[in-house]
Amino acid sequence: MKVAFPYMGCVTAYDWFLEHLGHKVVMPPEPTQRTIDLGVKYAPEFFCYPFKIMLGTYIEVAEKGAELIISSGGCGPCRAGLYGEVHQRVLDHLGFNTEVVIFDSLFQDPKDFFRKVLSVKNNTSLMSVLKYFSIGFKMVEDMDAIQRKINILRAYEINRGDFNEAFSKIKKMYRKCESKKDVLKTTVEANAMLDKIPIRKVREEERIRVGIVGEIYVIMERCANNSIEEKLNNLGVEVETVQDISSWVKHNLIPRRFNKEKSWQVIEKAKREYTPLNVGGHDLENIGWMIDFAERGFDGIVHCMPFGCLPELVTRSIIPQISKDKNIPILSLSFDEQISSANVQTRLEAFIDLAKNKKKKPGLFEEFEFKEAAIV
Amino acid sequence: MTIGIPRALLYYYYFPLWRSLFTNLGHQVVVSAPTNGEMLEEGIKQTVSEICVPIKVYNSHVIELLKKDVDFIFVPRFVRNNGREWYCPKFLGLPELVKYSIPEAKEKMISFDIHPKIDDTFDAKDFLPLCDYLNVSKRDLKNALKKANEDFLKFRAFMEKGYDFERALSALDGIDNPPPFKKGALNILLIGYVYNIYDPLVSMNIIQKLRDMNVNVYTFDMLNEKFIRNPKEKGKKIYWVFTRKIYNTVRRMLLDDEIDGIIHLTAFVCGPDSVVGKLFELDCDKYQKPFMTIRVDEHTGHGHLQTRIEAFVDMLKYKTKNAM
Ligand code: SF4
Ligand code: SF4
Repeated sequence: MKVAFPYMGCVTAYDWFLEHLGHKVVMPPEPTQRTIDLGVKYAPEFFCYPFKIMLGTYIEVAEKGAELIISSGGCGPCRAGLYGEVHQRVLDHLGFNTEVVIFDSLFQDPKDFFRKVLSVKNNTSLMSVLKYFSIGFKMVEDMDAIQRKINILRAYEINRGDFNEAFSKIKKMYRKCESKKDVLKTTVEANAMLDKIPIRKVREEERIRVGIVGEIYVIMERCANNSIEEKLNNLGVEVETVQDISSWVKHNLIPRRFNKEKSWQVIEKAKREYTPLNVGGHDLENIGWMIDFAERGFDGIVHCMPFGCLPELVTRSIIPQISKDKNIPILSLSFDEQISSANVQTRLEAFIDLAKNKKKKPGLFEEFEFKEAAIV
Repeated sequence: MTIGIPRALLYYYYFPLWRSLFTNLGHQVVVSAPTNGEMLEEGIKQTVSEICVPIKVYNSHVIELLKKDVDFIFVPRFVRNNGREWYCPKFLGLPELVKYSIPEAKEKMISFDIHPKIDDTFDAKDFLPLCDYLNVSKRDLKNALKKANEDFLKFRAFMEKGYDFERALSALDGIDNPPPFKKGALNILLIGYVYNIYDPLVSMNIIQKLRDMNVNVYTFDMLNEKFIRNPKEKGKKIYWVFTRKIYNTVRRMLLDDEIDGIIHLTAFVCGPDSVVGKLFELDCDKYQKPFMTIRVDEHTGHGHLQTRIEAFVDMLKYKTKNAM
């Protein structure tokens, strides 16, 4: 069966995994303006931005003959729980013969989950599936770690483009792996490659560090967020992003009782201080991470969300209080098909100036400036 | 003590219940004034700009109640029904949307989670936290709630007879003024959330406007819950309480030949409606039911609404005349 998946984060590993299950993989192309245009054209006008870009990708893979699209959904209370249904309707309406399979949370409906696993596993023995999964997952984990490292080092890049070029090469190296040993070896090589790239040396007190929180699709997909990490790096700022595929998987697939992930710990912090309840997305987690970034001495936080995102609007309402309590500048940005790269750039520059000034002259920063920045 | 109830959001559905509950517990209920432009200005100033207008309206009413110097302001958090069906995420985050936008409200808020089993009869445990807020015994709460549930069902009975919110409320208070339904007039289903269709500013009194054009107006809350449950069919269902109600109302009314057309009144950036709004469009198309969406926010002008409903009603009148 020809299988595809949404483009989200680093897709090398899903491609690898599905191919080893004997599927023909239709590799989703990295979203481009055409992807966005397609999504915007065929999605209900007021649906969320992530839905639209994903739809664009689905149409692109359906055009290439994908018969099955594997995705994850979430199960309410937000709109994401209905993504699959609506995606399916639009694809049907456009006349594609493509099925969308949603892996909802394993614990919500285990029977359904395993039924779906069976449909995807394609007669591969369960042992092999587990083996491939564990190799594939190791790949994701390591690649995510590499990406995190790049988001820090690229701030000090001397020749613009070195890191991106290296990362393209690294992705290809991982794609060729066959065993866990290969993955481990590749990781060592990849790190060595990064370490060889010339960078500016800075003194500890000159480092500017910014954390990125927000709606998961927008912060993971650079096409949706106007390459915000790179933009910040180019301003000489180190970036840490709270979501990537490996943390998402660990957060969701390990039973709560045994789950030692930090994402669960920060949720507790958010509950203690700001709000008792998750309203539908990653809002509690985001609030928790903001507290965590502040406690770790970061210089600023950028909160990214799709325009009109329900849960993150609740978060945005709380942000002024967090910023005040924790004395940290926070910029909240909304993204949709209309936002311009120049606009994002200007806002980031102004924000980084603010963060730098605050670093030079510690103490309370002016709230007026923050308000301007936070409410887009 | 005085308990302030913002005239917004679920006020337009549950006010009779809440009023009865607080009054029977021996407290005085104060309702904020009907929304007006000035009030809304203030709400807009204090609320995140990207949010739907009903939430801005809600905050306007909280500010208004603060000015009235009430002792408490009731800001319930409706979470989900029957462990299955959720309220809109903004209802889940309502207390936060209020207290982080209007810090002065924080001290006065009576706020707790409500997870009703069914949504027209509440259980004492749904309101248990009130015992602490108001210093009453569980037994008193139970008795007051029993009475409140009865009042609410009486109110609902009026609604199911075709009354609109204001009329049902005054009927409950003994002034019975039945709504005008005329034989031979056009029948229009006005679909949308109670806080949009009944708010005088947001809806620009659309119900009255339609009646002035000699139209019979139907709304989803005139239907008994048993008619608008999710049908037993496969696939994912709409999982927001009020969205499910309006969705199934439309599905039902599509099959009703008496209904000449459907108007969907919705707020810009409404999340749940971005899903069902599209489904309405597709379904109405399929059943060839005339359909129109009116999307409102704080900038929508009177003239715009008036012109659009006039055009729609004219079109329907023309259509029925030609069909005869
Ligand atoms: S969390 Fe935001 S982007 Fe995701 S479904 Fe909800 S509104 Fe849409
Ligand atoms: S249902 Fe729509 S209009 Fe109502 S609160 Fe939610 S987003 Fe706003």
